Amino acid sequence: MTTVLRQVALLTMKDLRIEARGRQTISLVAVLGTLIIAVLGLGLGPEGRVGGAGATAILWVAYLFGGVLSFEKTMAVEREEAAMAALLLAPVDRGVIYLGKLIGNLALMLALAAVITPVAVLLFGFDLSAAPLAFAAVMVISMIGFAAVGTLFAAAVASTRLQGGLLALLVFPVSLPLVVASTQVLVSVFRDGEPLGGLGLAVLVAFDAVFLVTSWLVFECILEP
Amino acid sequence: MLEISRKASAAYWMAALAALAGAVAMLIYYTPVEETMGPIQKVFYLHLPAAINTLLAGAAVFAGSVGYLWRRDLRWDDLAAAAADAAVILGLVVLLTGMVWAHSAWGVWWTWSPRLTFTFMLWLLYVVYVLIRPSIESADRRALVSAVYGIVAFLDVPLVYLSAYLMPQDIHPTSINMVGSMKLTLAAWFVPVGLISAGLVVARYRARRRARTQETVGCRRPACA
Repeated sequence: MTTVLRQVALLTMKDLRIEARGRQTISLVAVLGTLIIAVLGLGLGPEGRVGGAGATAILWVAYLFGGVLSFEKTMAVEREEAAMAALLLAPVDRGVIYLGKLIGNLALMLALAAVITPVAVLLFGFDLSAAPLAFAAVMVISMIGFAAVGTLFAAAVASTRLQGGLLALLVFPVSLPLVVASTQVLVSVFRDGEPLGGLGLAVLVAFDAVFLVTSWLVFECILEP
Repeated sequence: MLEISRKASAAYWMAALAALAGAVAMLIYYTPVEETMGPIQKVFYLHLPAAINTLLAGAAVFAGSVGYLWRRDLRWDDLAAAAADAAVILGLVVLLTGMVWAHSAWGVWWTWSPRLTFTFMLWLLYVVYVLIRPSIESADRRALVSAVYGIVAFLDVPLVYLSAYLMPQDIHPTSINMVGSMKLTLAAWFVPVGLISAGLVVARYRARRRARTQETVGCRRPACA
């Protein structure tokens, strides 16, 4: 068990170190997210008519597109100089490779959220002060599920050479339950003042569990040098 | 051999059409007009069987996808793709009949009520399956990506269902007070819809098999995706 954890940590650190040295993905993704927020802000007009549910919708659009871009980028790293072949030769379980990629992607997404959320709060005047922890918890739980599916599909389409729109097309429809459930949970927390919980949260947690297990099982079959 | 199978398939479609004609006759002459909804209520006899067959087609996509990952035989991939075609067509029937109903009962073509949201998200899942296939060139890679997506999509269905139920205000009838003759007609409609759905899957499967054989012989047709 400790060896597995060490292997996961090593693989994650490798990805994060590459990212820390180049800072290619995070800067790209953060700028894309900010642009999306800006477009939505300009489109919705200066009056700030967006309510609580609208806030999550705007943030989700930015998270979804930013997330897909970062999944693509972290997988593209492995195709340079046949890194994937070396990774597959390493004496680790394929599931460990999956977990390493997933945690790296999650770190990127959290960094993205840390940039975009304040920007959106600032530009749209969202009021998250009623339950900031509930907001953060819902978003983190949702992102785990989103990154679980995204990492799986990024690996599946990695060697097809036409990832761009394709990955988004695969990940978005599958992730819709996350968008619906997190939005409804946050509406009930912010508008109705209810405590965090209920069916919505259960759907989010179930989504994470189902797709973490499925991806772990399926990942074995899809990696190719 | 080919002659026999052609005759068998002709007989099958004749039987399916006869069942459809019988079901339509029952719908027109046998069932009473529902009091509040009027004759529009009769789309329900097509609506419910089509909805159930959509889910069955999704299950067939799942079975084909698991079969492909397990056996790595392109016949499983052809089965999954054929079932996905059927799922998209059936889902469209469900959506259209549902919209006709909604317009007549509630005066709007669309509301974001739970069942409509669920059907729409389910349909999108399989539309994406059908759409992405032609954009992956290698047959093996296409089968692999499709199989992973087919599995994830089917596991997503219960989550989509649960999350859709978080949407507010359900005006969709969960049960209709049906007299005996209505129940009988509904049961009768399952026969042609089931026959046509199964026939559709088999027809699409055989078309794909034929295209695949021609592909290996050397006749390159772009339509084999």
